[in-house]
Amino acid sequence: MSHFNALASSWWDVNGPQRILHKMNLLRMDFIHSTIRENLKLNQHAQSEDDLVYIPPYNVDLLPKPIRDNIVGEIETRRDDLLSNAKYNVLDVGCGGGILSESMARLPFIGSVKGIDLSTDVLEAAKLHKLKDPMLATKLQYELSTIEELPEDKKYNIITMFEVLEHVDYPARVLIEGLKRLDVGGWLFISTINRDFISWFTTIFMGEYLLGIVPVGTHNLEKYINQTEIKEWLNESHERKESFRVADTKGCVYLPAYGWTFTSCPDVGNYFMAIQRAK
Amino acid sequence: MLSRSIRYFSNSAIRAATQVAPPTLQDVVIIGGGPAGLSLLATLKNSPKTKHLNCTLIEGGSLDKVREFATNPPQEYTNRCVSITPKTIDYMKHKIGSWDFIHEDRIKEYQGIIAYDGQDADSRVEFDVNSIGKDNLAAMCENINIQASLLAKVESLGLEDTTTIKDNTKVVDIINPLTPDLENHDLNEIDEVPGTGKLDWPIIKLSTGESIQTRLLVGCDGYNSPVRKYAQIESRGWQYNTFGVVATVKLQYEDFRSVGWQRFLTTGPLAILPLSEDNATIVWSSTPELSEILVKVNKDIFPRLVTAAMVLEETDLKYIYGLLKENPDDLSAVEEIEWRMSKVPEVVLEERYPAAIVSVLDGSRARFPLKLSHADTYVAPRVALVGDAAHTIHPLAGQGLNMGQSDVIHLVEALEKGIDRGLDLGSTLVLESYVSNAWPANHAMLGICDKMHKLFSTDFYPLVLARGLGMKTVNFLSPVKDMMMKSISL
Ligand SMILES: Cc1cc2nc3c(=O)[nH]c(=O)nc-3n(C[C@H](O)[C@H](O)[C@H](O)COP(=O)(O)OP(=O)(O)OC[C@H]3O[C@@H](n4cnc5c(N)ncnc54)[C@H](O)[C@@H]3O)c2cc1C
Ligand SMILES: C[S@@+](CC[C@H](N)C(=O)[O-])C[C@H]1O[C@@H](n2cnc3c(N)ncnc32)[C@H](O)[C@@H]1O
Repeated sequence: MSHFNALASSWWDVNGPQRILHKMNLLRMDFIHSTIRENLKLNQHAQSEDDLVYIPPYNVDLLPKPIRDNIVGEIETRRDDLLSNAKYNVLDVGCGGGILSESMARLPFIGSVKGIDLSTDVLEAAKLHKLKDPMLATKLQYELSTIEELPEDKKYNIITMFEVLEHVDYPARVLIEGLKRLDVGGWLFISTINRDFISWFTTIFMGEYLLGIVPVGTHNLEKYINQTEIKEWLNESHERKESFRVADTKGCVYLPAYGWTFTSCPDVGNYFMAIQRAK
Repeated sequence: MLSRSIRYFSNSAIRAATQVAPPTLQDVVIIGGGPAGLSLLATLKNSPKTKHLNCTLIEGGSLDKVREFATNPPQEYTNRCVSITPKTIDYMKHKIGSWDFIHEDRIKEYQGIIAYDGQDADSRVEFDVNSIGKDNLAAMCENINIQASLLAKVESLGLEDTTTIKDNTKVVDIINPLTPDLENHDLNEIDEVPGTGKLDWPIIKLSTGESIQTRLLVGCDGYNSPVRKYAQIESRGWQYNTFGVVATVKLQYEDFRSVGWQRFLTTGPLAILPLSEDNATIVWSSTPELSEILVKVNKDIFPRLVTAAMVLEETDLKYIYGLLKENPDDLSAVEEIEWRMSKVPEVVLEERYPAAIVSVLDGSRARFPLKLSHADTYVAPRVALVGDAAHTIHPLAGQGLNMGQSDVIHLVEALEKGIDRGLDLGSTLVLESYVSNAWPANHAMLGICDKMHKLFSTDFYPLVLARGLGMKTVNFLSPVKDMMMKSISL
């Protein structure tokens, strides 16, 4: 077996060294999917009064069940309709072996996915694995590139940076490059790790030293950004504040023998964040 | 008339044309057109999330009778009847969407079961559904009625482009493609001829000469599941050295009590379950020797023998079995039976026992070996097992088909989730949740049935006493009884 083959099969072995990443991918796909779905503008393309879906201005759980079911049912049907007509394009920054890129490319409302990374090795592995699923052939492309090198005028509906920011030297710069390339209404999804004791303990001490799940030196505490820092940074400049909003932030934690689960506290450990370009 | 729009292929016509073609690619291939396989196809095609998947169902036998039944059911009942639970009916109404296509006039709901001991008719358990706050315990239904409704549902959806049913077609081999040689491969080149080596999807070879390569292979292929063998999943079980004899019969009159009857004989339980009007179905589990007598015995003697077996002492029954073993057409056995039955007062017969059986439907008697088995897991990479392929159960509790339907629901839920997450549906990351949701409940059910079988199939005296005691106690302790009831009706 060639080097790339070995790398591809170890990256993609769901019971192998990347199992934690594969399991995390389940949760982040839930996060991405539900964020997009729940934030759809339901009445944006309505042609007439009749076309409008009723959106109650209060909590629907207060309504009697049949009425609630009716309202919720209508809203969900509209969301299905909107998504079935969508063909979003995606840029996956630091795609690695393509775990997230492949998942995004399989979603019916995604038109195309471009995965970029700096490492030739993982990209070759990603390309090899892509061949194992014919439905990816035309929807997914990989490219050896940094985000800065991509043309600025090419906009994306969705840009993802998962488990990447903690590996780059200037995370703010990568974030800016990502925000620049977002289409209006588009989404930037990121995941990274808060710089706190729990993160140090779970990812560096446990992950690298004790469990040996990831190679020692993979993580560097100084590169960790707290989720509040991203929010503050977005508010720092008037322009950024006007254009972008943080729609959701969720903490998540890995429980051995269970898998990843959301927590109620995004300030501790790993977190996901969804930033939307408003205008 | 049924629309024939869905692609049906029946053997030889297409054999020549497809001999050398490369494998067709599919998302899901279902092997087996029994209740589990048809239900899976109908549910996948009925779900907004999975209906776009390319699905092929392969059945070794013919589905002509099933198709015919949907539009033009025979007057008489067919011989395989099953008890379906309210939960299964709920699935069929809301998730599978097949209930609209069922012949409801051929379904009989019943409200309870009266079970009693073979050695002591006074130790009885009366399961009454009202005690657990439901209207019906379960409903009796012909196997083929369920299959026909599922097939009709699939056809009504009109998703011809993505649905193929091949009956009269056997799976002859399943191949796991070898790890492809990609050393000198141009990585940006698209796999032009599918199935030439890059896909690790299983290849299914059919008796028609065709082959199909599939993302996910689902074995709904019954107890001897070729898919389970391919996936090298171990199935552990118990063979009981017991056979079940089934038959469709006519009662002396329509029994308005609408209950099932079950008598625990030392040779195994005998159950009479109501069908609509004056029809009923029987399931008689017994020894290899007795079951052979039961299928051979003259059709005029058989009804009387079943009636008697619900009432008479076991010593009397053994004597009569002896006569019939010598000569299955020995009409003197009828006199022996009548004489013994005449000693039981009329009102006792009417109040404490099921209505007498007067005839048996021609060709409805059949004999099956009984076994209990459970696969260690239901999934492997690109493989899932559903229904009898995953577990077989003693028919005592009428659960086999119901368990298969609940498997289908759990599997489709896992696949829907996999679609929402953009996963490869053959990945164990998708399939794992099917196992964790379906396996434990099935295992508990198998355990209950095994214990009931062991408890009720012995004539070892102390155990009979304890058993009699147990049954009475059960009757008093309604919480325990309710638990047993729930396990039957859920
Ligand atoms: C006497 C008796 C009484 C029962 N009573 C009840 C009851 O009251 N309630 C209840 O819920 N259940 C009952 N059951 C159980 C119930 O009948 C089964 O659980 C149910 O039929 C299983 O359905 P299935 O689709 O999983 O398998 P099956 O019905 O066995 O279907 C498997 C299909 O796969 C096909 N197949 C197999 N191999 C191949 C191949 N190589 N190529 C192509 N096709 C293939 C076969 O032709 C078959 O059609 C009873 C069973 C018995 C024996
Ligand atoms: C932990 S992996 C995450 C892979 C993938 N995003 C996932 O979560 O499945 C981090 C990846 O980021 C890539 N990476 C690091 N710095 C980068 C940069 N500046 N630009 C693009 N990719 C980078 C690495 O090569 C590596 O493949």
